[in-house]
Amino acid sequence: MRKSILLLALLLPARAPGLAAQTEYYARLGAVGASNLLRDVIISEITVRQSIAPMLALGGSIPIGPMGYRAGVEGTFASGKYHSSENGARTDLGTLRTGTLLVGVQGPITRQVRWRAGLGAIHYWSSDKQGIFLSGGTTRFLVGAGLDYRRALLRAWDLMGSVGYDFHRFTTEELRTRGFAQNQSVSRIAVSVGLARRTR
Amino acid sequence: MTPRHRWMTLAFALLALACGDIASPLRTDVYEWRLFEPSVTGTDTISFHWPQDRLPVRVWVEDASDLPADISQAITTWRGEFLYHEFDAAVVSDSSSADVIVRAGPSPGPKLSRIRLHSALAPQCSGETDVDISDDHRDLRLPIRIYVDPKSDPGAPGLAECVALTSMHEFGHSLGIFRHSPTPTDLMYTDPTVSQPSQRDRNTAEVLYHLPSTVQVVGP
Repeated sequence: MRKSILLLALLLPARAPGLAAQTEYYARLGAVGASNLLRDVIISEITVRQSIAPMLALGGSIPIGPMGYRAGVEGTFASGKYHSSENGARTDLGTLRTGTLLVGVQGPITRQVRWRAGLGAIHYWSSDKQGIFLSGGTTRFLVGAGLDYRRALLRAWDLMGSVGYDFHRFTTEELRTRGFAQNQSVSRIAVSVGLARRTR
Repeated sequence: MTPRHRWMTLAFALLALACGDIASPLRTDVYEWRLFEPSVTGTDTISFHWPQDRLPVRVWVEDASDLPADISQAITTWRGEFLYHEFDAAVVSDSSSADVIVRAGPSPGPKLSRIRLHSALAPQCSGETDVDISDDHRDLRLPIRIYVDPKSDPGAPGLAECVALTSMHEFGHSLGIFRHSPTPTDLMYTDPTVSQPSQRDRNTAEVLYHLPSTVQVVGP
């Protein structure tokens, strides 16, 4: 999976000359919010969650058919605080960074709105090697989908707005070592705006 | 099984997988960490852990017998036992503002000690932790004092290991584990032989930090 993602990421810049004019690139800034990373019970329930974090998304796509379908790759990076909550009391656990890489397809819904869906991976880095990240970060498989809205802004650039959803199953080496079984379902929603290089 | 049933089974399996939560381990294997002190009405139970607003706990260490390195290792180890930043400590240079004072040598006379936890009765060294709790059992007066006594000559066989193990054990008392484990394979056993906290030590520390303290800290 990782090889496929890397291959596509490398092929986009090194595309065939005929595809040059049809290759799209985009960059967006926004925010991402996630559901609980962890539910634990020692005496009462403890949850761990990443706060809403600023996010940068970079991506590109190439056409794969006459019906407006495209294949693309998108990477995102987000950095924000994460905290635990128990009986209404919050404890700051430090800074948590996430990076994602998704390979997917996209297609038209209307002239200005497109859908996209993809598979990839998410990686977590914590600022401190402690707590649930005592044994280091973790990489998990990721599935995602979203809607992109584009509107002409400049001669060669579109304004791009995007809403995305992705899902993965979270755990860390430290949690496995401590006897946590299975994984936690984590859903994330991202909203972002940016610029896309127009090809039509 | 028809193809339709097969697809439905697969869909339900995926749905169950997607909705499932992580399953946390049980922390039921713990030992008694609380003190039971006589009171006017009978027996009073004393439980203590450092509150979040006192973290990191300030620790002053006497520069003798490898104690600074051993206590730094003890801080790192005990901090690593917790998942949710329940405990943290830092070494400070000024003993007058310390929450925990660690000294090399034997403990002074009993006048300085309200409750003394004797530990680590190995031949090469010994350790003690003094906790000063008010008569009404409401306050824990800081600092907590740890004494690690290298009984033998410097360089004696096994001394360095004994001091390291005793530092780790006594620091466990300063966290709030005020009693000893009855199990020899635990670090908080009276005369420990293991150098790291066991699963039971970890469980006990985790449970202790998620129950309310019965005393409040008073001090610098």
